[in-house]
Amino acid sequence: MSALAKLVGIGLALLLGQVLARLLLPGAIRPELLLIFALAMGLRGGGLQGLILAFGAGFVLDVLSVSPLGLFALLCGTACAATRLFDKALYLRAAGPWAMYVAGYVVVNWVLLGLAQRLFAPEGASEWADLLLRAPGSAAATALAAAPLLSVFRRLLSESDREGTWPVLAAHGPRARP
Amino acid sequence: MSEQLRRYAYPLIYLLFASLCAIGMASQHGPSELGFAPRLVLNLTLPLERMVTLPVQELRGVWSDYVALVGVREENEKLRGRLARLEDENHQYREAILSSERFQKLAGFRAQRDIPMVPANVIHQDLSPWFQSLIIDQGAAAGIRPGMPVITDSGVVGLVSGTTPGAAKVMLMIDPQSRLDAYVERTRARGTVRGAASKTCDLDYVLRQESVEEGDLLLTSGMGGVYPKGLRIGTIAKVDRRTSGLFLAAKVEPAVDFARLDEVFVILEQRQIPEDQAFSAADEGLWPDPPPATPEPEVVSVAPSAAPPAPQPAPPPSAEAPR
Repeated sequence: MSALAKLVGIGLALLLGQVLARLLLPGAIRPELLLIFALAMGLRGGGLQGLILAFGAGFVLDVLSVSPLGLFALLCGTACAATRLFDKALYLRAAGPWAMYVAGYVVVNWVLLGLAQRLFAPEGASEWADLLLRAPGSAAATALAAAPLLSVFRRLLSESDREGTWPVLAAHGPRARP
Repeated sequence: MSEQLRRYAYPLIYLLFASLCAIGMASQHGPSELGFAPRLVLNLTLPLERMVTLPVQELRGVWSDYVALVGVREENEKLRGRLARLEDENHQYREAILSSERFQKLAGFRAQRDIPMVPANVIHQDLSPWFQSLIIDQGAAAGIRPGMPVITDSGVVGLVSGTTPGAAKVMLMIDPQSRLDAYVERTRARGTVRGAASKTCDLDYVLRQESVEEGDLLLTSGMGGVYPKGLRIGTIAKVDRRTSGLFLAAKVEPAVDFARLDEVFVILEQRQIPEDQAFSAADEGLWPDPPPATPEPEVVSVAPSAAPPAPQPAPPPSAEAPR
């Protein structure tokens, strides 16, 4: 099985995990598992295919929710791009920094969600107080879930990097490097 | 060129998708039919999601239907107790509202009449089916004397048949011993209203040729020295013009609902009741205040007896009880 298929499988598993979490956990401590996937797709080796997978994951969330179509896709794509920017600077190769980064980004993601709602669908926008009250618990739960997943993502991303699954898009794959 | 494209491919792709997302959000106005891609995603993901959610929902159903019901009995008992308390409170509030409305009506009625009156609460109703009386919580100490009329805003209740310092016994106008001199408001035809120990009274001594119809209002005539003139007695419920005799027979529906009497007024007008016709202070051991000094007090005049009263000779038209 190719690394891309495995990544898609992990994304699907995280989506189902998020469905389970919605059923079993209260809203204040519900982890954003698909956001972990989107953030991980921005790690070294994710490349353009990671960005597309992140947008795709967000699109699935959009379809499964009543949000304006494209909202979660934009948020997930942005999360992926942000991780790509901060990966080297924050040394996101160990579980601790990765978990802290994920926790921080969950809060940022809630803020971005509020801004995007006000920009594109202001009539149904969530209250800032609601968003910010729920953010800390969700951030902590997401960080706890993200820490053990880092090694899995790193292995799959390096496999994908080696395979060069989408050579045309693999700008930073081994074949693209001089 | 190719190297430049590869260098900027990531931000360009990001901008492209972000723009698509923004356009998608901005172009969405209200509920609409899903497009091809969302439908495809839904069709692919929903079966998977259902595979996950169904077992969880089943487990939650087992939990909520069986395991979580352990404390329900105790909770049910608590809720029952709380419901009973709330119903009791609700009942008290409703009672307070009704009392307030009654007092307002009574206060208005009292203000309309320039007669000295004492308000009193009904504290006991006669248990016997043969006699119709009640006991009120005001007595001689409030100036009430035997023979004083008792009324409400609806009309005549009866007259005081005996007193103690703190209570008074009232013979209702529907008691068989009661007689009231009355006249029909519409035609001024006079007669005597006689209690019948039922919900209605009889109207006697009205001449056959008098115009009396169902629905006519009956008022006290003021003759007989007990009731002031013009108090409402009731309405004619049925008229029976006999084929023979001087008088017609009629049934009177009292204006007062005796089953729902709570507050009454005693008119403090001294009427000339012969002393030997008044009730004694202690009557049949029913008096709440003070307790009877002797187990069998002396009963004078129209004290109720155990059997229905024997037929009495017809009183003159102006006669009024007590006799």
